Amino acid sequence: MAISNMKDLVASDLSPYDAVYLGNLYCRDYEANFLEKLDDLRAGIRHCREAGCKVYLTTYAAPRNYFLPQIRKAIAVAAEEGVDAVEAHNLGVVRILRNEFPALSIHIGGFANVYTDTGALVLRDYGGTRVTPNYELSLEEIEGMAHSTSLPLEILVHGKMPLGISDYCFLLEYEKAWGMQCPDLCQQDLFLRQGDWAMKSTGKGVLSGRDVCMLEYLPRLVAGGFRFFRIEAVSEDPAYRRDIGMVYREALEQACSSAYEIREAWWQKIQAHAKVGLCNGFYFGQSGQLYIGNQQSAVGNQLKVIS
Amino acid sequence: MQLTRRPVLLAPAGSVQAAKAGLDAGADAIYVGLKGWSRGGAHGELTPRELEQVLVLARQKGAAVQLALNTIPRGREIDYLLERLPELKRWGITGVILNDPGILAYIHRCYPELPLTASIGCGALNVDDVALLEEIGATCIVLPGTVHPAEIAEMRPYVKAQIEVMIHMVDEFHQLGKCWMPSYFRTNPSPMPEMPADGERLTGSIKRGGAGVCFKVCQHPWGLYLNGQKKEERMLPARQVSRAPEVGAYLDAGVDVIKLQGRSLPPELIFPMVRRFRMAIDQVREGRQVLEVPPFELPPSWVVVGR
Repeated sequence: MAISNMKDLVASDLSPYDAVYLGNLYCRDYEANFLEKLDDLRAGIRHCREAGCKVYLTTYAAPRNYFLPQIRKAIAVAAEEGVDAVEAHNLGVVRILRNEFPALSIHIGGFANVYTDTGALVLRDYGGTRVTPNYELSLEEIEGMAHSTSLPLEILVHGKMPLGISDYCFLLEYEKAWGMQCPDLCQQDLFLRQGDWAMKSTGKGVLSGRDVCMLEYLPRLVAGGFRFFRIEAVSEDPAYRRDIGMVYREALEQACSSAYEIREAWWQKIQAHAKVGLCNGFYFGQSGQLYIGNQQSAVGNQLKVIS
Repeated sequence: MQLTRRPVLLAPAGSVQAAKAGLDAGADAIYVGLKGWSRGGAHGELTPRELEQVLVLARQKGAAVQLALNTIPRGREIDYLLERLPELKRWGITGVILNDPGILAYIHRCYPELPLTASIGCGALNVDDVALLEEIGATCIVLPGTVHPAEIAEMRPYVKAQIEVMIHMVDEFHQLGKCWMPSYFRTNPSPMPEMPADGERLTGSIKRGGAGVCFKVCQHPWGLYLNGQKKEERMLPARQVSRAPEVGAYLDAGVDVIKLQGRSLPPELIFPMVRRFRMAIDQVREGRQVLEVPPFELPPSWVVVGR
């Protein structure tokens, strides 16, 4: 999972997780973003280590030239602190890592647009050691990519799926009307809704309204050789991170060791945190907001609306 | 300052008539989509017969024709594309526009002499993006018109490849190449025209179906909900960028190609748009300030909905 700043990191129970990404990839102005507060980044890396987690730095998804000096500084701090990998969502950052920080492992993030096996191989040649395929790929395509590239792939198993990134934060238009300033604005509970459709807004980022949930399919993923499972919780609160992390920790242990049976308590926790319901993303070759599976109650629209 | 080199004015054409209008208005080159393969969407693509007609028109004017093959192909689609390229080259296309770094690198290995443009969908925004795309085989890299001349001047010393700027474009909320909102809501796979086997255009996916078939989700009226309360109804921000007065600054910064968006535009709108930029470039080449270019505003309905 990813955490944007020290405040959120300290408030979050890391015990269900093997690894944590530090940094907010959407916005330089996100409150105390690890990518901008380098003393916090050092402390955050040490905090994760003390919690027994591997620690990775994530980086901006759409950096301009003038971002690059700060990205280099953040990577340098991460390298000094012995971070386990740096995630790049951008070709330029991949190139910087390859040329200037050759000892660091590179994870290719979901915004890097890896749609094809040949795309994954290009980035492997630039030092990529793990790849998150683009979210639009089906599980069948992802399995094919894993087979033909032999690259370890990271799979989003739960959480709000990124749907895009903007250069412009439209929430700034509401500072006066709502009496709220940046960086508090994007940390509110913000949804865009149209009928049954919903998306979560983080200002510059738009996320799926429904939570991707692959709980029913963990045994398939494990049997398919996947070993890196991501919970997308960058826009969530610590309770979400704790509860969803614990569900998947227990489920993963069961999927790896014995007959897999989904516990009712897991569903209750997942549904308690899914404000708009659940979906499977694009894994089954359909529109991202559909849920394919036996747990049909997962589909319900639970967003509380006060009109 | 008078320019010694000749910049290229690259105009869109979604029909034979639009190609004629662009060439008559002074375009040095035009780009067209081939049916089924183009990010511009189904309404701005040419059949092979229409492509041949456009190539004849362009030859008469001494203009170049680039072919946009910039949906991201899958599986057998890639093989089919590779088989077709030599024939298309024989017809007289001067280069191909591609949208996936992996496909670009692959085609470069197969046809090292073929000029390859890294489409705006490749997401280049910074100096290292541009450098990486050149390293894997791009001979031209497209940047959005939201990148300023000063940023391009910083890139220029590091790349030999041509730099192309889409100086007239719709600046949508999500960055081009980094949006999966439409397919989250709906996809509508349909057989790919001109593809004899199992090719599939994924309508709804900007990357796999084309931006012109993306359902324009960003331009739907969305209810914005803050902490469960509806605050207002709005569309996500989008604007038309048209930087004719800054043509001189872009050319001074080292831009080689001035590109205009609009393959779905009718000939009667293509002509004044291209004319405007022809005049701007000529004024710069003659050492004059760009002052006298007629304003060109697209109808608001075109800005995203009609793109």
